[in-house]
Amino acid sequence: MSTVSVRYFVDDVDAAIRFYCQNLSFREVMHPAPTFAMLSLGDLRLVLSAPGGGPGGGQAMPDGTLPSPGGWNRFMIEVTDLDGLVSTLRRQGTRFRNDIVSGVGGRQILLEDPSGNPVELFEPVLPEARLSERES
Amino acid sequence: MTDPLDALRLPVIPVEPRREFAEHLLQKIEGRERGGPGAATGHGATVRYFVTDLNGSVAFYRDLLGFHSELIAAPAFAMLYRGDLRLLLSVPGSAGGGSALPDGSVPAPGGWNRIAVRVDDLDATVAALRSRGVRFRTGITSGVAVRQALLHDPSGNLIELFEPGAGYRERAPAPAG
Repeated sequence: MSTVSVRYFVDDVDAAIRFYCQNLSFREVMHPAPTFAMLSLGDLRLVLSAPGGGPGGGQAMPDGTLPSPGGWNRFMIEVTDLDGLVSTLRRQGTRFRNDIVSGVGGRQILLEDPSGNPVELFEPVLPEARLSERES
Repeated sequence: MTDPLDALRLPVIPVEPRREFAEHLLQKIEGRERGGPGAATGHGATVRYFVTDLNGSVAFYRDLLGFHSELIAAPAFAMLYRGDLRLLLSVPGSAGGGSALPDGSVPAPGGWNRIAVRVDDLDATVAALRSRGVRFRTGITSGVAVRQALLHDPSGNLIELFEPGAGYRERAPAPAG
C-alpha cells in the first residue's frame, strides 16, 4: 500500500503531535523518540523531526547546518467546509498567514503549526473545474 | 402468453469492453490505482512546492524523478503526480497559491520541509542522478530503518530519497488490546 511521505521540522514534537491530531484529525502512528514522530492522515504520512535529533532525517548536514522549521513548501489538506474549520481553528488560537483566498480551483488559506510550518487548507470547487481551467 | 413485465424491462445493450476500462479495473484490483484528476479528500496527498523556473522544474521532476505531468499552466503553475503524491509547482508571485500575503511577503522556494520519495535501490538512484548533474545536499546517510539522501531541485527545494531497510514499516501495526 503506497503512502506519501512528507517530513516537517518542528521544535517541539509533542506540541506538534497535539496540534495535528487534535486540530486536523491526524493519527499518531509512532513516537519512538522525543525528537521523532510519524502521523498519518489518509494517504499522507507526516514525519516530524526535531532539528538535531538523529540519526536520520533530523541530523545536521555534513557542514554542520541544522534543519529548521518554516519555509513555504507545504502539504495541502482538502476540506469540505473551509469557513467552518477556519473559524474553529481561529477560536483555538491557531495562527494563519493570510485570510481565505479564492482561485479558480478552489478556496484556500495558510495556517501555521506551532513551529511556524505552513499547512494549506483547500476547499475544491467541482473537480472538473480544477482541470479544465488554469489555476489562477 | 407474453410476460406482462416485458414492457418494463430495459433493453439489453451489448457492451464492448474498452481497453482503458479493463486497464483501470486491473489497477483497482491490484491496488495500484492512483488518485485520478478528480480525486478529492481521502485519496492521495497533495504538496505544493515553489519553483522559480516552471518548465525547467517540470522537466526535472518528470525526466529525473519519474513524475508525470497532469496539468501545465505555464508560466505559473503545474500539477504533477507520482503514485499517490500530487505535486503542485507554483511560481512565487503568481495568483492563487503563489500570491503574496496581505503583508506583502512573497512565497519562496527552499526551506527544510520536504517530500520523501521511496526508491528500491538508493545507491543506484543516487549514482544515476549524480551522473545527470543533480545536486545533492548530503551523501547517503543511515537513519532508523531507512537509508536516505537529500537532493536539490533546480530551485533549491529539498527532496528526500529513502530506501527502507530492516524494521521499516509502511504503516502502523494494528493497535494491540
